[in-house]
Amino acid sequence: MARLPGLPVPAVVRQSHGLQRFMLLLGFGLMAVFLVVAVLAPWIAPYDFDAVRDSDGVKFGTQQAPSAAHWLGTTVGGQDVLSRVVFGARTAVEVIVLAVVLSSLVGVPLGLVSGYLGGWLDRVLVLVMDALYSFPSLLLAIVVSIVLTGGQSSAFGGIFAAAVSITVVFVPQYFRVVRNATLAVKSEPYLDAARVVGVRTPRILRRHVFSNVSQSLPVIATLNASEAILTLAGLGFLGFGIEPSAAAEWGYDLNKALPDAASGIWWTGTFPGIAIVLIVLGVTLVGESLNDIWNPLLRTRGGTDGHDAEEVADLVAVDPTEVAPVEATAPAATEPSGERLAVLSLRDLSVSFRTDGAPVNAVRGIGFDVQPGEVVAVVGESGSGKSVSSRAILGLLPDTATVDGSAVLRTPGDEPRELIGRRSDAMRSIRGDEVSMVFQEPSTALTPVRTIGWQLVECLRAHRDVSVAEAKERAVELLELVGLPDPAERVGHYPHQLSGGQKQRVVIAMAIACEPDVIIADEPTTALDVTVQAAILELLLSLRDRLGTAIVLITHNMGVVADVADRVVVMYRGSIVEQAPVDQLFAAPAHPYTQALLDAVPHLGRETGPGDAPPSEVVLDVDRLVVDFAGGFGRPTFRAVDDVSLQVRKGEVLALVGESGSGKSTIGRAAVGLQQPTSGSITVAGHQVSGISDARLRPLRRRFGFVFQDPAASLNPRLSVGDCVAEPLRTQTDLASAEVQARVRRLLEDVQLTGEHASRFPHELSGGQRQRVSLARALALDPDLLIADEPTSALDVSVQARVLEVFRELQERLQFACLFISHDLAVVDSLANRVAVLQHGRLVEVGPRESVLGSPTQDYTRRLIAAVPVPDPVEQRRRRAERGALLTEES
Amino acid sequence: MNPLARYLLVRLALIVPMMWFLVTLVFVLMRVIGDPIQAAQGGRLSPAQIAERKAEAGLDRPLLTQYLEYLGGILRGDFGTTLTDNREVSDILVQNGAATLELSVYALIVAFAVGVPLGRLAARHRDRFPDVVLRLGAILVYAAPVFFVGLLLKLAFTPFGWPSSGRADTSTELALSRGDHETHIMLLDAILWGSPDMVLDVLQHAVLPAVALGLLTGGVFLRLVRVNLLQTLRADFVTAARARGVSERRVVRKHAFRTALVPVVTVMGMQIAMLLAGAILTETTFEWKGIGYELSEYLIARDFLAVQGIVTLIALIVGITSFLIDVVVAIVDPRVRF
Repeated sequence: MARLPGLPVPAVVRQSHGLQRFMLLLGFGLMAVFLVVAVLAPWIAPYDFDAVRDSDGVKFGTQQAPSAAHWLGTTVGGQDVLSRVVFGARTAVEVIVLAVVLSSLVGVPLGLVSGYLGGWLDRVLVLVMDALYSFPSLLLAIVVSIVLTGGQSSAFGGIFAAAVSITVVFVPQYFRVVRNATLAVKSEPYLDAARVVGVRTPRILRRHVFSNVSQSLPVIATLNASEAILTLAGLGFLGFGIEPSAAAEWGYDLNKALPDAASGIWWTGTFPGIAIVLIVLGVTLVGESLNDIWNPLLRTRGGTDGHDAEEVADLVAVDPTEVAPVEATAPAATEPSGERLAVLSLRDLSVSFRTDGAPVNAVRGIGFDVQPGEVVAVVGESGSGKSVSSRAILGLLPDTATVDGSAVLRTPGDEPRELIGRRSDAMRSIRGDEVSMVFQEPSTALTPVRTIGWQLVECLRAHRDVSVAEAKERAVELLELVGLPDPAERVGHYPHQLSGGQKQRVVIAMAIACEPDVIIADEPTTALDVTVQAAILELLLSLRDRLGTAIVLITHNMGVVADVADRVVVMYRGSIVEQAPVDQLFAAPAHPYTQALLDAVPHLGRETGPGDAPPSEVVLDVDRLVVDFAGGFGRPTFRAVDDVSLQVRKGEVLALVGESGSGKSTIGRAAVGLQQPTSGSITVAGHQVSGISDARLRPLRRRFGFVFQDPAASLNPRLSVGDCVAEPLRTQTDLASAEVQARVRRLLEDVQLTGEHASRFPHELSGGQRQRVSLARALALDPDLLIADEPTSALDVSVQARVLEVFRELQERLQFACLFISHDLAVVDSLANRVAVLQHGRLVEVGPRESVLGSPTQDYTRRLIAAVPVPDPVEQRRRRAERGALLTEES
Repeated sequence: MNPLARYLLVRLALIVPMMWFLVTLVFVLMRVIGDPIQAAQGGRLSPAQIAERKAEAGLDRPLLTQYLEYLGGILRGDFGTTLTDNREVSDILVQNGAATLELSVYALIVAFAVGVPLGRLAARHRDRFPDVVLRLGAILVYAAPVFFVGLLLKLAFTPFGWPSSGRADTSTELALSRGDHETHIMLLDAILWGSPDMVLDVLQHAVLPAVALGLLTGGVFLRLVRVNLLQTLRADFVTAARARGVSERRVVRKHAFRTALVPVVTVMGMQIAMLLAGAILTETTFEWKGIGYELSEYLIARDFLAVQGIVTLIALIVGITSFLIDVVVAIVDPRVRF
């Protein structure tokens, strides 16, 4: 839409499109009309609202039909309907504005404080507000209105009384919305980041919580305003609104018009009714449209996930898309190529997405073949188009996608079939039967409200003509085949009753249920722990051997590729840059991107990390730490950390490794006072930090910094990068503004960014840059201790390399003590002095890096190390043979 | 302990303080205005007469004593006595509660019949013609106060002689009240009486109020179902089901819809309160003699003892219904159950 000259078009209108925009503008228009009418009522209305005679003293007469003198007729009380409707708008607007202002003034602060502080205050407030909310709002308004007007027919501040009655009803709604939004924001890492540096509660509420919560307020305010009008009208209708002699009110008029309806007098009630409908319609349209536009759950996704093109270009030294792709044909050792027909052949496959902006080309003309029984790995970093192309094959992309090119499926006994452009019902018989999929996140790939048996039976019966009983029997067999313990019992379980690894086994069971010719596995082990990953990969390989299924394995993990792939396809920004047999690819990568990628992958056992640090003073001392999390009512408490003692010295990096649920993050949070220990003590540079009040902890906070896992979430999206980095300085020092600026600039340069980045907002940076900002913020106060909680696990390999390099360099220079929390043993191997291994909250083993990772003494550590696939197919085959039975029965 | 039982126990335990708070709030608010006898009879009776009446009703005792007595009464199911016609408030529940229940059930039937399938339709055709029409319709229905819809229905149907007030013709009502099996649920009474004419008469009277109230709630249901289904249709497990070759129809019905229903049922539970508020207005509009109708009569008569009793009663009904809704949610969603 063209920008109207002279009229500021709000940003939200520009964000909307099509119908949405029409509804939004219609809503704004209706609201504007009623506002104008309300303000100008005395000039617009032909008569006063309760006038019964004109200026000549002649009575209007009652229930007169519409005429030239009275366009909308007269009421049973003998007043002009039009005038009453016009003045009614004034009453409605006054009451709404007053009610919305009053209820947000009370409800918003209450919700903020209650949600942020939690505890008893929160529980009591929630109970009270829930009670008020569950109560019929009109009844509550009636009761309050009786109280305010004393039940007498006095004209006591009619409008104010009505507004207050409505306010009482709406405070709980503001409270709920703001409290929920506060709770959501509260769990964001950027709030933890602010707390770590000791930002005080009022400032946190103002700077971090309110600024992010406030965007939901226009929606709730408009939705409430419409309810306010309806409640006001309801009060008036029941005779508990504004005193009829004090102001015109539509609800009251409707009540008076009710008996008229039976006698066919339509004008007395219809017009005030229409006025109510229109004003509520206007307000609701605005609220609904805002919600539709702003609700992230309903937004059409577009674009690629923040790909760090800039950083990759740095790494590769040339733009990989400029270099011609490399294709190595399989050496004709085992079988002459071309003799066996590929079961799946992609040619010139392209996918583009329509977005609100320019179309995004996610896949640009790729082609590769998959032979029967072959494992083809498609590797690439985020945004390379690897998942999109796999979904395009099965026609699973949303309507916004356009797919071109060809994907031919050749199965024994059938004609070759083209999959692209196939009608969806013709596609249905192929999906799950001849080509099936395994998804990344097993917990979201299963329907939560159906048992796994039900889902398996459905899958079987979708393709095979079998009875439910037969299908059930087969389901149990399948679950047994994928190694789920107690299949006969588990078949009746719901997904949430299984662990992540077990769920992935169920997903695989469904994928093989109809013995497909091709399985597309999209990052099937990324969400799983490494020991579980090893077991799942083992399972996929054994199924391939048994059923001869071809597997297209989509992954970003070069270790997994080296472990299981026969052939590798490397993708970068929607194109294939190289394809080669696995040994050749790792031994002699031909394309510069592949070379850079392989160089960037840390390799467990081959890293030359630092040795033991020279002895120096202890900075972090964790002594017999226990952290319990209370279970819900009647549930046992959960012990996250169980009697852990460890020390980190100045200039030393201690890596804390373990699988999910091992308690490693909890220890990190306890070390900086984000989590109170149940027992045990924590000292930082000789100062006790556990079990002391926030006020006493605040001055100590300058001694530690914290880097969080997800750089996208740990920087407040509404603060500039400079403000994010400056926050610790502003909180903990009295530096003048200019000094803060200068220091921020220096810090950004330390992490290889420029001062120019200070004025940007986090979303304008790449993931790797954001994580370096996070590091700059953590180091702003020159801390004695740095806690890094999985600082690189949300990043792509090529970006991770750069962040780790910056980190190593700064650590060497500044000599801070560092607790480095990670699940990635290869990363740990490249930078830790010492390693501590955790399992189920207990410390399994701790010691110098070489001895823990090189010659572990504990069984669990050995299993953990054996499960890590290394990015070298030759070495990985040896490791696989060696580990033998070490990894059986896990997940 | 069985996890479901434990969950329900927790939920039950939470209702008690909530109800206590509401009951206390109503008591405190209704006493802030002074004493109800003064409010109802002030000006009509001499101060001496009022004092006498107050002593009779026990209103001259300390507030705390009255409060405790009031709480005790509620525990015994005694919600006090009306001032104007000396009726036990609990009798109002028995005699008029059935009418409100009957109207609510009809309205819920209409709301479900309209809201759920149309919400599903709108979601499946997002941003296309049916969706646009249905959404605008839902907003219009929401924007129209129930008494205005009632008025329009009356205007449209009275000319054809369609009954638009009361629960049945006077003759039917009289006949039924003399029956042996008076359940106060008129449709049931008419069926038990065995007269098809009466059944028809009762049903005819129910149509307009049920439609007025049901449309209001149905519009809300429609929007709820639409938005939740849209969100669920984007879930990974829906794609996963499609990837297994499950037909589109089945994906929507068996995978998405059931999951989308969980938040819908929760919010529908909250709508029960709205339905009751709507019932007050609907009953007044159609002279449907339920609790809401009685409440508005007592309000007009300024009989605040009756109002206090009825409001307390409604608070209890709301509390109990929201508990029942949670039971339903627990049944629909296995994640709550275990």
